[in-house]
Amino acid sequence: MFRPDTGSQFVNIFSMLLLVTTFAIVSQRRLSACVDLFALQSLFLGLIAALVAYLTGIHHIYVAALLTIVIKALIIPLILKKVIEHLNVKRELVLNINIPVSLLICGALVILAFSLTQPLISLGFLLTKDSLAVALAIILIGFFTMISRKKAVSQVIGFLVIENGIFLGAIAAAYGMPLIVELGILFDVLVASIITGIFTNRIQDAFDTIDVSQFKGKKE
Amino acid sequence: MTVSQMILILLISPLLAGILSLGFRTPKILHGINFVTIVILAAFQFLLTRELLKNGSFFVFHRFFAVDALSLFVLLIVTSVGFTSSIYAWSYLNRHLVQGNISSKRLSRYFFLFHMFMLTMILAILANNLGILWVAIEGTTLATTFLINFFKLKSSLEAGWKYLILCSVGIALALFGTVLMFLSSARALGESNAALEISELIRVAGQLDSHAIKLAFIFILIGYGSKIGWVPMHTWVPEAYAEAPAPVSAMLAGVLETVAFYAVLRVKTVVDAVVPSGFAGYLLILFGFLSFGVAALFILVQRDYKKLFAYSSIEHMGISAIGFGIGSFLGSFGALFHLFNHAISKSLAFFAAGNIHTLFGTREMNKVTGLAKRDPVTALAFLAAGLSLVGMPPFAMFVSEYSVVAALATQIYHTDTFHFGKFMTLIVSNEVRSLALVSLFLLVSLIVFGGFMFRVLGMLWGNPSISPPADRYFKVANIPLLMSIAVILFMGIVLPPSLKEVMNLAVTILVGGRHG
Repeated sequence: MFRPDTGSQFVNIFSMLLLVTTFAIVSQRRLSACVDLFALQSLFLGLIAALVAYLTGIHHIYVAALLTIVIKALIIPLILKKVIEHLNVKRELVLNINIPVSLLICGALVILAFSLTQPLISLGFLLTKDSLAVALAIILIGFFTMISRKKAVSQVIGFLVIENGIFLGAIAAAYGMPLIVELGILFDVLVASIITGIFTNRIQDAFDTIDVSQFKGKKE
Repeated sequence: MTVSQMILILLISPLLAGILSLGFRTPKILHGINFVTIVILAAFQFLLTRELLKNGSFFVFHRFFAVDALSLFVLLIVTSVGFTSSIYAWSYLNRHLVQGNISSKRLSRYFFLFHMFMLTMILAILANNLGILWVAIEGTTLATTFLINFFKLKSSLEAGWKYLILCSVGIALALFGTVLMFLSSARALGESNAALEISELIRVAGQLDSHAIKLAFIFILIGYGSKIGWVPMHTWVPEAYAEAPAPVSAMLAGVLETVAFYAVLRVKTVVDAVVPSGFAGYLLILFGFLSFGVAALFILVQRDYKKLFAYSSIEHMGISAIGFGIGSFLGSFGALFHLFNHAISKSLAFFAAGNIHTLFGTREMNKVTGLAKRDPVTALAFLAAGLSLVGMPPFAMFVSEYSVVAALATQIYHTDTFHFGKFMTLIVSNEVRSLALVSLFLLVSLIVFGGFMFRVLGMLWGNPSISPPADRYFKVANIPLLMSIAVILFMGIVLPPSLKEVMNLAVTILVGGRHG
């Protein structure tokens, strides 16, 4: 058994790894690598949840951790890989904002997240209280990814990163939401990614591109 | 029959109907299942309302579901628009089936998604838990995406994608807001389901951290606001409403917005209990005026009549937000009544628009003339919807809009004093604020009135731009039109006493911040 502060440091290290993978997604041009990084991020998230479950002895978090790993680290990446394979696109060629500038903006977003959550930190629990700022940072960066990328698949990845940030926030806030809510959220995310998968395929068939910015010009 | 059984039936019947619909291809059976379900829903909604008026609000399944006047009133909106929309869908979908635009397989998909849509909305309305509320509202997004893209055109694909992405992201923000709520309440209530239960949150309001609740409300407002279609999160609204099949547009504009609004109102009761200074109200008034004003300008330059109605939805959601934001009894009553009137009038407008689209084959207003000669019933419905949507008496919307303006005028505002240098002092008094807000409201209403009536009347008169009909498809489709006209006319003149009682109870929940 860890001492609480050692445990808290482990949680912090994992939260930081989550943030690092988010940055890696922003700096990555290859779509399949983005999906792999997302899977890795989800794995870390599942491990954090499991760690919190172990340290606090709240058993229902184990269920959430297991489901996170199965759904977000295995099933959703598989769906996305299938979509990418079907669409036959390997590289994100069009970015609205180039990568060095993106990374700078993301750095600024991290600082913003830490300053926004400062007054809330005292509310959190000892074990995970610093993770809330990281969670908000990941949400903001996920947003930024959705805005700065043009391909439908990268927008979906951005959305999933936001979801991961919220999950981390829920863990950080109060050792996870009630199990029934957690299950509902995971189910919704799963269905959402299936639907977006179908949608990107349809967009590909109809427009011969998944570059969302091409929409306007090609209307019938 | 016990109350919990009634609630179960309300939830199980659309679920069953949805699964059953997937197994059939025959249009008659599919429509039959749909009608049976919607009649069951309406009947049980009626029984629950009677129960409520007799015994007051109640919880079932360990406080998992809560039924009070507010939820029943919103449920009434859902079942009534669901009912008219189902009748309309009968001839609308059959016509597209005959024309070969859709296959019978598509028809069964339509009904599956339609029932899932109903299920998620009913779940959202009945849930006492902020987490379940979120899950259900996200569920409505997932159920309606393919309904918007029902005809699989390039333009509808684009509209569907925009809707999916914007609403999913918006709703992710609402989830973060919910997490923040949980963060502050878990201290008082422990990490259990209770920490997200609306009734429990209000009970322990004094122990909640106001900073966290404020931040949470901002996230939730923006999140559900993107679903309601408030400016500036409204960009998906015009395209989605224009591209969706007419019965779906009616449901989206009439019910989906109302249910998302209901979610905001539920959270607002908690926030009001924690931060009594009217913080939530000011934010609502801000979004309200922003949506009202911006939508009015877009109404002025609109060329597509379905998009015209979409912008009108944004505008009316703005008016309701102002009413709820004021927070007085009159304002909340007007806003609540406005939600009902908007749902009926807007679904009427989209039914009429669906008929016009089928007749003229275009969504451009310039190309539609002489509707009155070509199809008098649709023309009457279109005119009634138009008059109602600009708030003309004797339609019910006049009453509700007037209540909101009256509430705006009678509200007591702060008196602020500003100092400029040593000798200049500017005092902004209660009267000045009240006058400024009311004038702004009336000015924008005038813009909407002008823009709307000019467009609508232009489509009604003149010679028809197309030849007389060879056949008459829309016999059944006229029933929901006439029903909706009757309702908005009747409600403008008399408010049934039992309905008034439910509304009064609902407003008490909103104003008093207490359940039941």
